[in-house]
Amino acid sequence: MTTQVFKIPDSLRKDVKYSFCPGCDHGVAVRLVAEVLDELNLKEKAILAASIGCSVTIYDFLNVDSIESPHGRAMAEATGVKRARPDKFVFTYQGDGDFASIGLAESLHAALRGEKISAICINNTTYGMTGGQLGPTTLLGQVTTTSPTGRNLEYYGYPIKIAEHIALCEGTAFSARVSLDTVANIRKAKEAIKKAFEVQIKGLGFGFVEILSTCPTNWKMTPDQAHERVRNEMMKTFVPGIYKDITNNKQAVLV
Amino acid sequence: MTQCLAEKKVLTKGNYAIAQAAILAGCECYFGYPITPQSEIGEFMSGKMQELNRAYVSAESELAAINMVIGACSTGAKAMTSSSSCAVSLMQEALSYATSDQLPVVLVSVMRGGPGLGNIYPSQGDYFQATKGGGNGDYKLIVLAPSTVQECADLTYKAFYLAHKYKNPTVLLADGLLGQMMEPVEFKDYTYPEIDNSSWALTGAKGRDGRVIRSYAPLAEDQCVFLEKLYQKYKTIEENETEWEEIGTEDADILFISFGSTSRNVKTAVKMCREKGIKAGMLRPITLYPFPNKRIKELSEKVKKVITVEVNMGQMINDVKLAVNGKVPVELINKPVGAPPAPEEILLKVEDLI
Amino acid sequence: MEKNFIIAGFGGQGVLLAGEVLATAFMLAGKHVTWYPSYGAEMRGGTVNCEVVASDDEVSAVNKIDTDFIVALNQASFDKFIKKIKNGGTMIANSSLVKELKNRADINYLFTPITKLAEELGNIKMTNILALGVLAKASKMVSLEHLIEALDRVLPPHRKNLLPLNIKALKIGYEYDLLPV
Repeated sequence: MTTQVFKIPDSLRKDVKYSFCPGCDHGVAVRLVAEVLDELNLKEKAILAASIGCSVTIYDFLNVDSIESPHGRAMAEATGVKRARPDKFVFTYQGDGDFASIGLAESLHAALRGEKISAICINNTTYGMTGGQLGPTTLLGQVTTTSPTGRNLEYYGYPIKIAEHIALCEGTAFSARVSLDTVANIRKAKEAIKKAFEVQIKGLGFGFVEILSTCPTNWKMTPDQAHERVRNEMMKTFVPGIYKDITNNKQAVLV
Repeated sequence: MTQCLAEKKVLTKGNYAIAQAAILAGCECYFGYPITPQSEIGEFMSGKMQELNRAYVSAESELAAINMVIGACSTGAKAMTSSSSCAVSLMQEALSYATSDQLPVVLVSVMRGGPGLGNIYPSQGDYFQATKGGGNGDYKLIVLAPSTVQECADLTYKAFYLAHKYKNPTVLLADGLLGQMMEPVEFKDYTYPEIDNSSWALTGAKGRDGRVIRSYAPLAEDQCVFLEKLYQKYKTIEENETEWEEIGTEDADILFISFGSTSRNVKTAVKMCREKGIKAGMLRPITLYPFPNKRIKELSEKVKKVITVEVNMGQMINDVKLAVNGKVPVELINKPVGAPPAPEEILLKVEDLI
Repeated sequence: MEKNFIIAGFGGQGVLLAGEVLATAFMLAGKHVTWYPSYGAEMRGGTVNCEVVASDDEVSAVNKIDTDFIVALNQASFDKFIKKIKNGGTMIANSSLVKELKNRADINYLFTPITKLAEELGNIKMTNILALGVLAKASKMVSLEHLIEALDRVLPPHRKNLLPLNIKALKIGYEYDLLPV
């Protein structure tokens, strides 16, 4: 007798060519989203607002209805979908540039309005698709193609702590930061995604998960080295944790 | 608004007429951000949509508002936003996406003075913005230009119908004069057929694969195929939907071409010209895209001179010149911004020009 | 036939509402009518005005170069619009606030103490509607009945209690002894 311990989620399209770079955490993140869609039985009522950047190709992988959004506007598209069809499950999948730089106004206001939307934001401290430029989450000292001597305060200012900012919005029901660097952390990440989806289903408010991810190509590292960097460097600035969970009486706190 | 819906006619502002017509056309979602001279539309909608349990969002920006419309339209809903000039500039990216996504976005654009912040006086300075588009790539917006408050209502109905029929963003291009003036309006029943959108709308992937509404076309050949198809659609729109009004063109020597609120003054100017023995006529494009270039070409074979009258520095005149194609001289009578040139002024200038 | 009217005054005198009542009355009388307000920067400096054009045919132009009837409720409006009256047109001026000067020989002047009459009625806010009564009588373009019906339509529900007073104001204006001065 055999027991199935792993399967490809039904919410993933079959026979699609994998297009993310080797070692990139997007692949894991997309699979987790698909698994949660399966487990919460959401595939048939889900509508995804896709974004711009590496994250755009998610609609090639997830077998759900999707609307592509201009750069930064996924949360506006998602708001439009949800307000038009409140019975649907509406979510976004965005990079940190899309969510927290060009789309920061849309993100904060969706959270402030308490839109019943779930948002996944991939934080890899760089603009990946365009070749590794400085983004809103680039760490102090980090070298990118547009910060050749490293991010300094004089020219670039500080990186944004997204999960903390979203947690401060009163319409937010759940806000967490997770990582994908170990199996244990991948499990935690999935739990967080589930929570962010559930608060929407229960009509409690805005659900948000920031996922610390790797970009081995632009970081010029092996996948292992990249996960080391997530642990040793990124987590110092971007501390993992649940910043708000109104189902657990956890209110926003400044870290 | 002086409302008495039991009676047929209601004295109301152009802005309210547009909003009320949108409600009657079955608009399910309104997203907007205030800007003079069209803020009454959002004000009216905020109350009415909530009363009717429909969607209303005070968006954080015009960028957000138009993208919310895209989101709502992707589900097949009737959705709209309204704005003016410098803020419509902010929406150009989304309008380009929406044409590529083939979504039935309805945008009410109530023109004011520009460029830049300009002022809140009436203007027709966004003829280019509406008909040529400020977004990237090859695309067209269907553009309807009312000239009375009654038409503000009637063409709002039509905007929803055409947007859904052709799955193409459609602009109702009014101006501050029409938005702010009150005239008696009769709100008729919305008699356009409802368009079946079940083949493309996002409803959740139930018993089928997930649908993707996208503009991203990584391969050049895919983009070529798409654009050829898109322009076939525009050809159909041009053949079926071009609309205009004509006055006194049967025997005209002088053909005025004017749209929107300005055409009202030109109508009077035509009468004044005729009283003076000048055989004048007027063609008023009601659809700015599709533009009545065929008809203008026909008329240019018969008239001696074509004069466009516009409240801008001369924008529509470019399309008129293309249609006339050098057959007869094309002149411009314009005012840069504000109320349209008075009929007396138009008459004086015509006497100068002939 | 087409006639146009401008009602002007300072903010708070209710000139836009008076214009709306007038335009509604024309609509009820079966005329084509257009109402157009001054707005924006034009309103700074204290004068507000609106133009009403009533016609047997479709109304074409608004913001016309000259005007048949002007109601000036304050001095600034009088000074601003006196030039805009057509030859043979009429200036109805609120003599409670406007100096009785007649510098043009080609127009009619009707100086009426509109504010004072409203005060005597017990509510200075009736100035605008009282002025409409004067205009109705002077222009012979619109009936008292249509103006009363228009008032009933235009007054918002929470102001409906003021309808009788408004009607009274209309009548006082209408019945005021109008001898062109």
